[in-house]
Amino acid sequence: MSEQGQPTEHAKAAEEPKVSPAELKKRAKAEKQARRAAQKEQEGATGEVPPAANGAHQDYTAQKQSGQQDQKGKGPQAKGQPQPKPSKQGGQESKQERAGPSTQSMPVRGKAAPTAPSKEQPKKDNTVVELLSHLYPVQRRPNLIGVSKDVHPAVLALGLQISTYEICGSSARCVAMLLAFKEAIQAYTTPRDTSLPRHLVSHHLSPQIDYLRSCRPLAESMGNAIRWLKKLIVELDPDKPEHEAKDLLCEEIDRFVHERITVTDQAIASSARNQIRNGSAVLTYAKSAIVEKTILQAHEQGTRFRVIVVDSRPLLEGKRLATSLMRAGLEVQYVPFSGLAHVMKDATLVLLGAHSMLSNGRLQSRVGTASVALRAHKTDVPVIVCCESVKFSGKVALDSIVLNEIAPPEELLLSSPAQPAVHPTAVTTATGKEVSEDDEPAAKLKSLHDWSSIANLRLLNPVYDITPAEYIRMVICEYGSVPPSSVPVVHRLANEGM
Amino acid sequence: MVGQTPSLTTFLKSLKQNDIETSIELFISLLKRRQIKNSRPCAIATTHLLLRVVAEPKRKWDAQKLIDRVGHVGRRLVAAQPREMAVGNIVRRVLGVIREVAERDEDSLTDSEFSGSASPITGEFKQRPGLPTRFSEFSPLHGAAAMPHNMHSGRPGTADSMNVEFGGTPQRPGLMSSNASYAGQGPSGTSLFSILQHPQGRSPLATPPTGTQSPAMGPSPSRRTTGGEANEKLDIKAEVIDGIKELQDELDVVDSQIAESALDHIHSNEIVLTHTSSQTVQKFLLTAARKRKFTLFHAEAYPNNHEATHATILNGAQGEEEDSDERWKPLTSLGITVILIPDSAVFALMSRINKVILAPHAVLANGSLLAAAGASTIALAAKTHHVPVVVLSGVYKLSPVYPFDTDELIEYGDPSKVVPFEEAEFMNKVDIVNPLYDWVDCDLVDLYITNLGGHAPSYLYRIVADHYRLEDVDLNAKQDVAVKKG
Repeated sequence: MSEQGQPTEHAKAAEEPKVSPAELKKRAKAEKQARRAAQKEQEGATGEVPPAANGAHQDYTAQKQSGQQDQKGKGPQAKGQPQPKPSKQGGQESKQERAGPSTQSMPVRGKAAPTAPSKEQPKKDNTVVELLSHLYPVQRRPNLIGVSKDVHPAVLALGLQISTYEICGSSARCVAMLLAFKEAIQAYTTPRDTSLPRHLVSHHLSPQIDYLRSCRPLAESMGNAIRWLKKLIVELDPDKPEHEAKDLLCEEIDRFVHERITVTDQAIASSARNQIRNGSAVLTYAKSAIVEKTILQAHEQGTRFRVIVVDSRPLLEGKRLATSLMRAGLEVQYVPFSGLAHVMKDATLVLLGAHSMLSNGRLQSRVGTASVALRAHKTDVPVIVCCESVKFSGKVALDSIVLNEIAPPEELLLSSPAQPAVHPTAVTTATGKEVSEDDEPAAKLKSLHDWSSIANLRLLNPVYDITPAEYIRMVICEYGSVPPSSVPVVHRLANEGM
Repeated sequence: MVGQTPSLTTFLKSLKQNDIETSIELFISLLKRRQIKNSRPCAIATTHLLLRVVAEPKRKWDAQKLIDRVGHVGRRLVAAQPREMAVGNIVRRVLGVIREVAERDEDSLTDSEFSGSASPITGEFKQRPGLPTRFSEFSPLHGAAAMPHNMHSGRPGTADSMNVEFGGTPQRPGLMSSNASYAGQGPSGTSLFSILQHPQGRSPLATPPTGTQSPAMGPSPSRRTTGGEANEKLDIKAEVIDGIKELQDELDVVDSQIAESALDHIHSNEIVLTHTSSQTVQKFLLTAARKRKFTLFHAEAYPNNHEATHATILNGAQGEEEDSDERWKPLTSLGITVILIPDSAVFALMSRINKVILAPHAVLANGSLLAAAGASTIALAAKTHHVPVVVLSGVYKLSPVYPFDTDELIEYGDPSKVVPFEEAEFMNKVDIVNPLYDWVDCDLVDLYITNLGGHAPSYLYRIVADHYRLEDVDLNAKQDVAVKKG
C-alpha cells in the first residue's frame, strides 16, 4: 500500500514545481490532473478490489476470501476514496486560498514539495523494519480529520478507545464493536430507492468497519462477528419495515454477544476452573479476561492456590490482572518477563488467553505467549488455552512474521518522566558540582525519544506471536475441552455453521 | 571523593591511599552494597586489591604464608558476594600463580637437592623445603626484578624506615651481583649453579645467618647473606606481583581478543540477536561491523538493564572505565541496522534470526552459564528454532563451580524496578520477583568464544583445569586445612 501511496506523491511533486510560478487556474488544472492520475493509479493497482469488495458484500459463500480481501482490498479503497474525496474539496481549496494571497509562499512550497518525498523516504525507512514492512498500518494513528462522515460517533469513540488500548482484548473489542454497531444501525435510514439488506452493509457498515480497521487491525473475533452480521443483514426479508428490521438486528446482536461471549465465558471459566486444584500455582501471562474470570471463580469456589502473573513491556497488562486478583484476595506473584524461567519451576499449570486460535492449531496471542508456552512445555507444565469459539479462525500461520500486528513503536519508549527521574535522584544525592557534571553528558547523550532521528535505529513493537500447537495441551472452548488439532473443526461448527 | 557514589573508580583511587585492611573492608562493603557489581568490575577490583595484599610493604612472604593470606582475603571477598563468581575466579587464579611460582622454585631446588640430599629442612616448611625462592631470581621467566623497585620506592610515604632499608638493599645486590650474567641461561644451568649455592641458600632459613658456609662456595661474603635473605622473600613477591599484573593485562585485552574472532563468526547480511548492554558483545559486533553489514536485533533486558541497553544502542557502549563518559561509537553509526525489541518479542522473531550472541555473567565448568535474566528464554527459543547460540566470555568469567543447585546461583534484584514503590498497595500485597540472572543450561549453548578462541561447551572443563589448581577449586576447603594447621 505504501507503494501505491508514493506514486501519487511523486506525481504531485513532479507537477507542482512546474505549476508553482504559474497562475492559479493553471495550478488548479494541474492539481486536478494529479488527482485523476492518483485515482487512476490507485484503481489500477487495486484493480481486483471492486469486484472483491462486492463479493464481500453479496457473495457470502466465500466468507473466508472476503475476510482476507477485506484487509488487502479495502485498505486502499478506504484510503483512496474517503480521504481524497472529502478532503479534496475542503483541503485543497483552502490550499488555494492560502496560496492565493501570498504568491511568495508558492515557490517555497514548490521547493519544499520535491524534498518532501525524499525526506519521507528515509523517514519511512527509519521507522519500518523491512522484514515486517508488510505489517505496518497505512495510517498509524487514527485522526479524526479525513474520516468519512458516515462514521457514527459511537464508532468514532470506540476507534479511539481501541487505538489507545482502553478497550483491549479480542472479545472486549468484539463486544464493544457490536454495541457501537447497534447504535450505528439505529441511526441508519434506508435511502428511498433501495432496501436495507442491500444498502446497509455496503454503504453504512463498511465505512464504520474501515474506520475501526484504520484504528487497529481487526481482531479475528471482530472479523467473525462482522461476517455473521453481514450474513444476517443480507438474509433479512427486504419487505420488512425498516424499524422492525433494525430492532431485529439489534436483538440479534444482543443475542450474539450474550450467547457467543458472555455465556460462553461463563461456561469456559467454570470448565477451566476445575483444572485448578488446591495447592496449585497457576501461571498466566499478560491479561486475559477469561483467564481472570476463571481464576476468580476458582477462588470463589474455595480452591486454595496461588497465581503467578508474568508481564511484559510495553503494555504491562499483567499488572492490571495482578491488581484485580490481589484485590480479590488471592496470593499473587508478579514477575517481569525476564524472570519467566525462574517462576516456571514453581508453576503447576499455565492458563493462557488467546487473541485467536488458528486453523493449524496454533495460538495467536499477546507477544511473549509463545515463550511462556515453550518454557512450560520444556518444564512439563501443562498449558491450557481458554478461548471462545468466536475467536477461532480459518487462517493458518507458521510463524509470527506473516500474520501479526505492529503497534506504534513509540509505545516502547519509557514514559518521559522516567527519563528526567534519573536526574532528580542525581540532584538529591550528589553535590552541585556533580549535577553540572551529570547534566553535560546527559545533554550530549541521546535518549530513546530521539530514536527516529538515528538513521539505522528501528524500534519494533509487535503485538502478537504464534505459539506452536505442540506446546498446547488443551483448548477450552464452549464446545468443550479439545486438543489444538480440533480447532478447525470447532471453527467450522461455530463460525461457518456447517 | 566527596559526594561521589562509590564505584570501581573511586575504589581504585582509594586503594592508593588506604591501608590494606581498610581496602579489603571497603571492597567487601562495596560488594555487599552492590556498588561494585558485574564480572568485569569485580575482577578488576579483585586483582588490584590482591596486588596490594601481596605487595604489602612490611611483609616478607614465603609461598605458604602468601597462599594462606591470599586465601584468607579471598574467602572474605567471596563470602561478601558469593554470586560474583569473578571475584572467586581471580582469587583462584592468583593462588594458582603463587603455587606455580612456589613449585617452580621447588623444582629448581629439588633438582639441586639431588646432590645435597641432606636438605637441612628447618623452620616451618616441612612439606615444601624448596619454597624459599632462593634461585628464582635467576630464572629466565623472571626479569631482573623490576617489581620490587616499584613496590618499595613507589610508596615512600607508607614504608617505614626499616622497610625502606630492607627493601632497598636487597635489590641492589640482586642487580649488581652476577645474576645478570646468569639470567640468560636455561633452567638446567641455573640448577647446576644452585648446587654450589645450596648451603648458602638454606642458611637464611635457619634462624640466624651463622656464616658457617664454606668459603669455597663462591662469592658469598657475610654481607651478602642478608641480601640473599631479602632476595628470597622479595622474589616470590615480585613473581606473584608479575603474575597479577599479567592477569590485569589479560582483563584489559580480553574484549579485543574475543573481538578478533568476530569475522570468523558473523557473515554479511546476517541477522544477529543479542541481549543486554555487554561491552564484550558490543566490541565483538563493532569489529564485525567494520568489515561486514549485518542486522542486529537487540532485546532490551527490561527491567534491570534496559536503560544501559538503550544507552548502548543510542550512544555506543561505555568505554573501559565504568564512570567515564567516553563511549564507543554506536553500531548504528557504522551502518548497522539495530532493531530494538522488547524481550517478549524474541520468540516471534527467532525464526528469522541467524545467530544469538549472549554475554554471560559467569560461566560454569560444565558449560552452562549465568547471564542476565531473560537469557535462558532467549536461548531456549533459539534452540527450538535451531539457531546457534554463541556466548562471548573472557576466561576470567569461567568458574570452576559445577551447578548443583541452580537456584542458589541466582540473585534477586530490586522489585521497585518492576513496580515503583509509589504503588504501595500493589507493593504490599503482591509478591514481586525480579531475578537478576538466569541459568542457561549447557545444551542450549552451541559455542563459547573466549580470549583463547572458540570452544564447545563440553570442552570448558579443560580450560577450567588449565586455569585453576585443584587445591583452589574449593576455597573454603582450604580454610579447613588452614584451621587444622593452625
